[in-house]
Amino acid sequence: MNALENWLSQATRHLSKDSVAQVRTEIQEHYESAREAALNLGATIEAADRSALTALGDARAANRQYRQVLLTSAEARLLRDGNREARVFCSHQWLKWTLLTVPVAALSASVALYFGGATEWARVLFAAALSLSPLFAAFFLPIYTQARGRVFRIVKWIVMISGLLLAFGPDALKWSWLLISCLWPMIWIEGTRISLRRKLREDQWPKQLYL
Amino acid sequence: MNFKGTLPTLILEALAPEPSHGYRIAQQIKERSRGVLDFKEGTLYPALHKLNSEGLIDSYEGVEKGRPRRYYRITESGKAMLAKDRAEWRELSRAVTLILGEA
Repeated sequence: MNALENWLSQATRHLSKDSVAQVRTEIQEHYESAREAALNLGATIEAADRSALTALGDARAANRQYRQVLLTSAEARLLRDGNREARVFCSHQWLKWTLLTVPVAALSASVALYFGGATEWARVLFAAALSLSPLFAAFFLPIYTQARGRVFRIVKWIVMISGLLLAFGPDALKWSWLLISCLWPMIWIEGTRISLRRKLREDQWPKQLYL
Repeated sequence: MNFKGTLPTLILEALAPEPSHGYRIAQQIKERSRGVLDFKEGTLYPALHKLNSEGLIDSYEGVEKGRPRRYYRITESGKAMLAKDRAEWRELSRAVTLILGEA
């Protein structure tokens, strides 16, 4: 592996395939120009290679900066898989309506259980209906602007945390480790989406980035 | 010299007269500062991508000496941002000079 290859592999660590291709092209072009300029000034081939590589600087520092502006492999995966989910949900009418009825069914069951005297189960089911409703409703709501997206996300988190607190009742604090574990995947996805919103122009946002 | 934070403005300034590619932008900044602003060129491209995603510049494929190159050009919002940055810089520079005195 030559020195430039080594630099490129360090600078492109954890970037998505497309980002890696983009970085490789631009850095190779740059390197060639710098090398050519050094050769024109009378440097030897070795000296020209060395000066072109030195001018690029630290590959790890470049990698840190690239990861702030280009898609990482984890972000590209989330973007791809999140879209797949949305496509599956929205492409079948029956699936769309079945999903919408899940929170409604849970809510109806909780009401029935409450009047049947099983208040504990009613509380848990009501909490489940509450927590699930923003997740399922998200795909069907007309959220196509940043302002609507921001409002939806605030409401989503308030509703979901309230649902979980309601499910655990007065023991919520004792079970906080479980609450955090339950919410961790969502927190990770939310964090990745924040990063994606920063990196992509709004006209490139799929619907999931508004949610 | 450490000029962290001002690189995007310097890139916009380099692109103001005409579209250019990464290598030429780097050389322009170094030459116009007479070698004082000597930065690591590997950090230029992340800054270009950021400006691109903010809509301050855009890019297109071009050819130079028979080789395909990615050219960057400043957009209207980029020009407005550059004008704002210039004004802010003049004000800051005037204020610092008042305190430190002329060199």
